[in-house]
Amino acid sequence: MGANLANHASHDDQRTRVAVVGTLAEFHREPIPYNLGALVRLVSELRPDLLCLDLTPEQWQGRDFDGLPPEYREALLPLSHQTDIVVVPIAGQHPPAEPTAGGWRGRAIAVLRRWLAYLQRTAPNPAAVVEGPRHHLADLLYELVAWLAGGDTYRAWKAHTDHLGRQVLEAARRDPGRRILVAVNLRHCHHIRPVLQQAPEIQVVPYNRL
Amino acid sequence: MADTHVLIFAEAALHREAWRALLSGQPGIRLAGVASDLAAVTSLPAGQPGAVLVDQSPPRPDLVRRLKASVSDCGLLLLVNTYDLGEVIPLLQAGATGCISRDSPVGDLARGIIAAGRGEIVLPPAIAGRALAALARGESVGEPGAGSVADLVEPLSDREAEVLRLLAQGLTNKDMAQTLILSVRTVEAHLRSIYGKLGARSRTEAALWAVKHGHGLPE
Repeated sequence: MGANLANHASHDDQRTRVAVVGTLAEFHREPIPYNLGALVRLVSELRPDLLCLDLTPEQWQGRDFDGLPPEYREALLPLSHQTDIVVVPIAGQHPPAEPTAGGWRGRAIAVLRRWLAYLQRTAPNPAAVVEGPRHHLADLLYELVAWLAGGDTYRAWKAHTDHLGRQVLEAARRDPGRRILVAVNLRHCHHIRPVLQQAPEIQVVPYNRL
Repeated sequence: MADTHVLIFAEAALHREAWRALLSGQPGIRLAGVASDLAAVTSLPAGQPGAVLVDQSPPRPDLVRRLKASVSDCGLLLLVNTYDLGEVIPLLQAGATGCISRDSPVGDLARGIIAAGRGEIVLPPAIAGRALAALARGESVGEPGAGSVADLVEPLSDREAEVLRLLAQGLTNKDMAQTLILSVRTVEAHLRSIYGKLGARSRTEAALWAVKHGHGLPE
């Protein structure tokens, strides 16, 4: 029994550990109540080998960070620059635009986005967005927004999320046994995690167990 | 990945305090002390990556030699006003691990200290490639066992050849890792394997061997 447990633990140690954290980074015009230094400290203490971010290879290679949210631009990218954390750009060539619609659907989307912005604005710290009730509520609101925007938009976002998941898998398979942190908008988290969990060589863990 | 312990060597008290304030709290860096002269240079913790940041204007090769003798296991990173090869190469020959411009942003300085702590050559890639080529022509560093790629007992894998090419271009481990989208630890493992196959005793030996055999040329 003890030997079996030891073998199991050893097997787990060899698997690539991946943590997926969600942000509400798109609301970068909203004042963030917590200091981005808290996010820097959080990721700095985790010290992942690879940091998968939702930016295109072109944005990464051209250092075109102007349009990126502050969590990326002012916290995660500078941190990775001066440490051993390697950035993996996982977005496709043409990430979809934010969902929009006309008429009552558009008005409903506007209301839901105000709620999302409220969730971001009132988050006391990064962990409150990364997990817990606020995280799940925001995910539900994003689902509603995508649904209200219509089938094409919903499918475009689904395709984007699928692409992110595949890119994380590819990064994990290219460099097995490493520790990978995925930091993306929280609307993708609940889709990326199951994709990764299907891969036997990957162990999906909470961020604080990375 | 352990923190890199850094010792600041600066003659002016104000500069020492400024460096201390700037580097305290930088991720991945731990301040081990400050020194104004050689007598005050103390050993850094054994078994941990360590670097000495040297703020002397202009930096002198004789000081580098004496510092290297005092803290042989540590990387020596020197602040320079410009990347003048005529100044940089004698410093590298004297034992400097790398040079960094006084105009560099603090992020570049921090990653330079971390790289120097691992014994990596810290220079902008364009300068590093030329410096390595000049050093290789000067033949001032020992030659690894293998004479050419064909002489290798065990051939390099495709990935190792790629890593060796980037090494010859003067990239740090982090830069190689970011170029190949691999972790730094994986790049380090490839480098260890490369050293073994080349019979190289150090990173510099391997880099000079690669430059001499044309591995540093862009693809």
